[in-house]
Amino acid sequence: MLIQLKHIDKIYKAGQVDVPALIDINLQVERGEFVAIIGQSGSGKTTLLDIVGCLSRPTSGEYWLDGDHVNSLPDASLTGIRNRKIGFIFQTFHLLARKTALENVQLPLMYAGVSRKAQQDKARELLTRVGLQDRLLHYSNQLSGGQQQRVAIARALANSPPLLLADEPTGNLDSQSGKDILALFEQLHHQGQTIVMITHDPLIAERAERRITLSDGRIVADEPAYQAAPVLG
Amino acid sequence: MLRSIFLDALKNLSGNALRSGLTMLGVIIGVAAVITMIAIVEGGQAWLVHSLERMGTNLLFVWKKRLTVEERHLFAGRNTELRYDDTLAIQQRFPDLLVAPIIELDGQLKAGERDYSGRITGTSPEYSEIRNFRPDSGRFISSTDIREWNRSLILGHTISEVLFGSQPAIGEEVKIADQRFTVIGVMEPKGEIYGHNYDEMVIIPISTALRFFKGTDKIQSMIIHVPNRQHMDEISGALHQFLVQRHEGVDDIRIRNQGEFLSAVDQTLLTFRIVLGGIAVIALLVGGIGIMNIMLVTVTERTREIGLRKAIGAKRQDILLQFLIESTTISVIGGCLGILVGILAAYGIGDLVAKAMPGGGDWGAVVQPTAILIAFGFAVGVGVGFGLFPAMKASKLDPAEALRYQ
Repeated sequence: MLIQLKHIDKIYKAGQVDVPALIDINLQVERGEFVAIIGQSGSGKTTLLDIVGCLSRPTSGEYWLDGDHVNSLPDASLTGIRNRKIGFIFQTFHLLARKTALENVQLPLMYAGVSRKAQQDKARELLTRVGLQDRLLHYSNQLSGGQQQRVAIARALANSPPLLLADEPTGNLDSQSGKDILALFEQLHHQGQTIVMITHDPLIAERAERRITLSDGRIVADEPAYQAAPVLG
Repeated sequence: MLRSIFLDALKNLSGNALRSGLTMLGVIIGVAAVITMIAIVEGGQAWLVHSLERMGTNLLFVWKKRLTVEERHLFAGRNTELRYDDTLAIQQRFPDLLVAPIIELDGQLKAGERDYSGRITGTSPEYSEIRNFRPDSGRFISSTDIREWNRSLILGHTISEVLFGSQPAIGEEVKIADQRFTVIGVMEPKGEIYGHNYDEMVIIPISTALRFFKGTDKIQSMIIHVPNRQHMDEISGALHQFLVQRHEGVDDIRIRNQGEFLSAVDQTLLTFRIVLGGIAVIALLVGGIGIMNIMLVTVTERTREIGLRKAIGAKRQDILLQFLIESTTISVIGGCLGILVGILAAYGIGDLVAKAMPGGGDWGAVVQPTAILIAFGFAVGVGVGFGLFPAMKASKLDPAEALRYQ
C-alpha cells in the first residue's frame, strides 16, 4: 500500500470561526493505481492534495506514505519525502523562468545531492522520455504550454518517486496538448507508476481507473472510473 | 550544489541588472567613503609627521613678547630685550641643548649683473643641526665665522640658481648693501614647510649680521633643540625662569613647544577621523538597508519560486543560503567596485588638497591594505547582516501557501 489516510480532518481558522476543509477522510491507494480525485471548487480537493503531497499537515488523523508515518515526522523530513517520494505536476507548470528545460529538470536532483554530471545525464534522459530531446536548452518562455508541462513531468520523475501527484495538469492547456499529456500519463501508468490526479473535469477523470469524488470536505464516492463515466449533454 | 546556488544568484542579479546596480551603488558609496576617509586622514598624518621631521623635532621656539604701553613705562630702564647674550647664556647654563639665535633683515644681494632682494637670516652653526637642514656643497657657518665676524654667506638652493644659474657659487663674491660677502655654502633643496621656503633662505653669521647691519645685539627669536622629548615641558619652564631672571624679573618671554602644536593637530585629525568615519559608516548602513529592501522585494516577487523549490525538496537552509548568497554577492561586487572608486577618489582628493594647501606639495592620500580589508569586510558583513532577515523570511515561507501566491 502506497498511501493510507485514516480519519483525516483539516480545519482552517478564519478569525474566530473554524472552517472545516476536510472531514474524516479515509483513503487507500495501492502501488500502480491511477486515481482521479474529482470535486467542485471548494470541495476540499486542493487541501487533500496538500496533505497527500506533504505540503501541509492535517489537523488530526493518521497518514502513512510508502511506509512512513508522515504526521509524526518533523518538517525537515517532510522536505526529504517530497523530494524523493513525490513528483508534483501543477496546473501552472511552475517552471523557473530563467532556467533551461534541462536545468529545471535538474533541480530535484540537485536538492537530492546528486552530482552535477549525474544530474545532467538523468535530466537529459527524462526529457528524451517525454519527447523533448531537441528542446533541452530552451527557456520556459520559448516552449509551448504542452511542452512546458512535459518539462514539469520530467522534473516530477527526476528522483523516480513512487507517487506522481498532479493538480489539474491539463487545466491551462489547449485540448490537443491536454490529450497528449493524458496519453503520457497513461503511458507512465502502464509502466507501473502510481498517479493521483486532481481535476474538476469528469471527462479527464475518466482516463483514470478509479475515481474519488469529494464534496464539502467528504469523500462521497469511490468507484472505478470507467463504470461511472457520466454522459455530458 | 553551492556552485549552482551561486550561479543562480549571479543569473538573478544580472536578470535585474538595473536594480542590482542601484542596490550595489549604496555599497559602492559606503565602501568608497570608508577607504577615502581612511586614506585622507592617514595621508594627513603622514604628511604631518614628514614635515615635522623636515623642520626638525623636539623644538622650542623663544620669542620676545610685545609689551603694552603701561608695561614699557613700568619697566623702563630694565633689560627687556632678547639679546645674543641670552643665547650664549642659555648654551652655557644648559649644555645639552642646541641653541640658535635668529635675526632677520631685508636686503639686496648683488652678484655681478644679477641681483636678488629678499630676507637675510643671521644665525649660528647650531641652526643647521636643529632644523635638520644641511649644505649641499660647501659648508655651513662655523664658530670661527661667528668669532671673527666673517662675511660668509650661505645660499638657499633657489637663490643660488637665481644669482649663479648652474655655475658653482662657492667662493663667489656677493655684495649685500656695500659689504662684500663670500659664498661658502649652498643648502640642500628642502622646499616649503608651513609657509617658510627654505630654498629662498640667505644665511649669514649672527655676529656679522649684528655688527654690520644692526649695530645692537638684539635678536628676534631663538630655536632650541631638546635632546629628550620627555623633558620638553620641564626644560621649557626652566628656560622661561632663567630668561625672566636675566631680564631683571620682567616676563617678556614667550616659549612655544612644538609638542603643543603637534597635539593640536592630532586633535584636529582625531575629530576628522570621527566625523568622516561616522559618515562612512552611515553610508554603509544606508547601503545595507538598500540591500535589505531589495531582497525583501525579491523574496516577495519570487514567493512562487520559493514554494516550488520547497515542494520539490529544497530544505530551509537551501533557501536561506540561496538568498544570503544573493545579497552577499551584491555586497561583494559592490565592495570590489567601491574599493576601486575609493582608491581613485582618495588619490583625486589627495591631489586637490596638495594643490589647495600652502606647503602641501608633497601631500598625498595613503591607501593602506588594512583600510581596504576593513572596508571590504564591512561590506560583506553588511551584505550578510542585512540579507539575513529577508533570507530567513524566504526560508520560513509555507510551501503550500507560497505555491499559490498570486
